[in-house]
Amino acid sequence: MRRVLGIPAVFSAGYGNVGSSIYYALGIVALVAMGATPVALGIAGVLFIFTALTYAEGTAALPEAGGSASFARHGFNDLAGFIAGWALMLSYIVTISISAFTIPPYLGFFWEPFKDSAIIGTLASMAIVFFLMTLNVIGIKETSFVNISAAVLDLATQISLVVIGFILLFNPTVIIRRIVDNWPAPENLIIGIALAAIAYTGIETMSQMAEETKQPQKRVPRALVMMIVAVLVIFAGISLVSLSAMTPQELASDWSRDPVAGIAANLPLVLLQDVLKPLIAILAGTILLIATNAGLIGISRLAFSLGNHRLVPPALSRIHPRFKTPYISIILFSVIAILILLPGFFEADVFKNMGALYAVGSLLAFMFAHASIISLRIRRPELPRPFKLGGNIKIKGRELPISALLGICALALIWIIILITQPYSRWVGLGWMVLGIIIYYIYRKRENLPLTHTPKDQEKNKKSDTPL
Amino acid sequence: MEFQKILVPVVGSEADVEAIRLAIRLAKKEKGKIWSVYVVTIKRALPLDAEIGPEIDKAESILDHMEILAEEEDYEVETDVLQARDVGPAIIDEAVEREVDIILMGVKYKRRFGQFSLGSVVPYVLKNSPCPVILYQH
Repeated sequence: MRRVLGIPAVFSAGYGNVGSSIYYALGIVALVAMGATPVALGIAGVLFIFTALTYAEGTAALPEAGGSASFARHGFNDLAGFIAGWALMLSYIVTISISAFTIPPYLGFFWEPFKDSAIIGTLASMAIVFFLMTLNVIGIKETSFVNISAAVLDLATQISLVVIGFILLFNPTVIIRRIVDNWPAPENLIIGIALAAIAYTGIETMSQMAEETKQPQKRVPRALVMMIVAVLVIFAGISLVSLSAMTPQELASDWSRDPVAGIAANLPLVLLQDVLKPLIAILAGTILLIATNAGLIGISRLAFSLGNHRLVPPALSRIHPRFKTPYISIILFSVIAILILLPGFFEADVFKNMGALYAVGSLLAFMFAHASIISLRIRRPELPRPFKLGGNIKIKGRELPISALLGICALALIWIIILITQPYSRWVGLGWMVLGIIIYYIYRKRENLPLTHTPKDQEKNKKSDTPL
Repeated sequence: MEFQKILVPVVGSEADVEAIRLAIRLAKKEKGKIWSVYVVTIKRALPLDAEIGPEIDKAESILDHMEILAEEEDYEVETDVLQARDVGPAIIDEAVEREVDIILMGVKYKRRFGQFSLGSVVPYVLKNSPCPVILYQH
C-alpha cells in the first residue's frame, strides 16, 4: 500500500487557516489589550516565529501526522505524546467553537439579529457545527481547489483592505494617541499576548499536512517561513488599520467578533463601504466556515493518529462501515464544541473565555513542541535534520537552539499567568487535561500497556485491528 | 507506437477484465511492463495513511484477480494499492512517476440523470494525462 500525495499547496492550506483567524483574533485581543492590541499581536508574532521555526525543524525531521504530539512521542515518550496531543485536541475544539461563533456576526450584514441577538447568534453557531458534523460523518467531498481559491481570495482581500486602509485612514498621530491613551495594565497586556496566540493557528495545520506533501523536508519549512512573513505583515497592517478606523473601545465592544467588518464600516468613502461590507460578510463567512470544518477534520485526523499509536481508546478511530469516516470522533468533538458555545446564550465575556481556553491548549502543545525539539537534539543528535535551526548554544557537546529555549520560557510564563488570572480557562482547561490523563491511564492499564512506551509489536493498529 | 509501460487502473468492474486482457495483448509485442493499480480514497477526516481494513481487502482481492487473469495469459502484471484523496489525480501521479507510455482504462456504460455519463475520474484523466489514454468501454 502506498500513499499518493495530493495537495502540493501547503502554503495555501496553512494560510487559509491562519487567514481565518484574522477575522476574530483582533477582536479577542482588543477585549483585554485595548490600545496595546498591535503590541500584543507583535510580541505574540515573535513567539510565533520561534514556534514556527521549531515546527519547521520537527516536521522536516519527522514528516508524519500528529504535529507536536508526534514530536513529543519521539522526543520523550508516549505519555508526553498523549499530553501534547490531548492539549492540541482542546485547541482544535475551541478553534471550531470560535470560528463558528464568529460567522453569525459577519452575516449580520444580511440579517441584523445574527449580530445583535446572543440567542440567535449562538443558535446559528451551534447549527453550523451540527451541519458540518453531519457533512463530515457522511464524508462529503471537499475539493482542495475550493480551499486554495478561498485562501487566495482571502489574502487578496486582506491586502486590499490594508492598502485601502493605509491610504484613506492611516494617521500615525491618531494611532499613537489611541495606543497611549488606552494602554492596559501589565497583566492585561500579558493576557492579550496569550490570546494573540489564536492569531497563529495555522502552524499545526501545516505540520499535519507534512505527510501529504511531496518532499516535506523541503516544502513544509519553506511554506512555514512564507506563512510567517505573510501573516506578520498582514496582521501588522490590519491591526494598525483597525486602530485608525476605530477606537479600541469600539473594537472591543461593537466589533469584537467581526473586527474586519468594523474596518469596512468605518471607511470614509460610502462607495467603498457599499462594495466591501457585503464582500467581507460573504468572504469572512466562507473562510470561517472552511476554518470550522478544517478544525473538525484536524481533530478527527489527530484522534485517529493518536489511536494508531495506542494513545487514545480505539473507539476514537472507529470508522463508519458505510461512510468510511471516523464518525465517533467527529460526533464527540462536535458535541463538545457545541457545549463550549453554550455560555454564548447568557455570558457577556464568553468570547474572551474561549480565547483563553484556546491559549491553554495551544500554548501547552507549543511548549511540548519546543521541549521535544530540544530533547531530540540531546537524545538523538544523529537524527537527519533537513531543516536545522541556527543560533545554538553548546551544552555538554549538544547544540540547543536558542529560539526554542526562549520560546518555551516565554510560553510557560504566559501559560501560567493565564491559568492564574483566568478562572474559566483554568478550570475547564485543566479539567480537560486531568480527564484526558485519567482516560489514558485507564485505557493503557486495560490494554496492559506501560504508560510511557508501547512495545514494538503493538505499535500500530494493523488493518485487521482497525475497528469497524 | 511502442507500449513498453502500461498503466491499468482498476475498480473491480467487468470492464477491467477486458482492459487488462487488451493491455497484455499490447504489451506482449514489445515485452512491455504492466502496472495495475486500485485507488482507495481516504476521506479528509482521516490521515492519508489510515488503513481501512475492508477497503484494502477489497482492493487486494480485485488486484489478485488481475494477476490471475495475467497468469492465464502467461504474462505478468505488477499490482499496487494506492491511497489518495482523489482517484483522478492519483492515477495521473502514478503515470508521471512511472513514466508510462499509455494509460488503459476499462469504462462501464453508465447513465446519470438519464444521460450517458463517464463520471468524474475518466474526464480528469483524459484532461490531465501526460501520455495517450485508451478507454475500453464494456
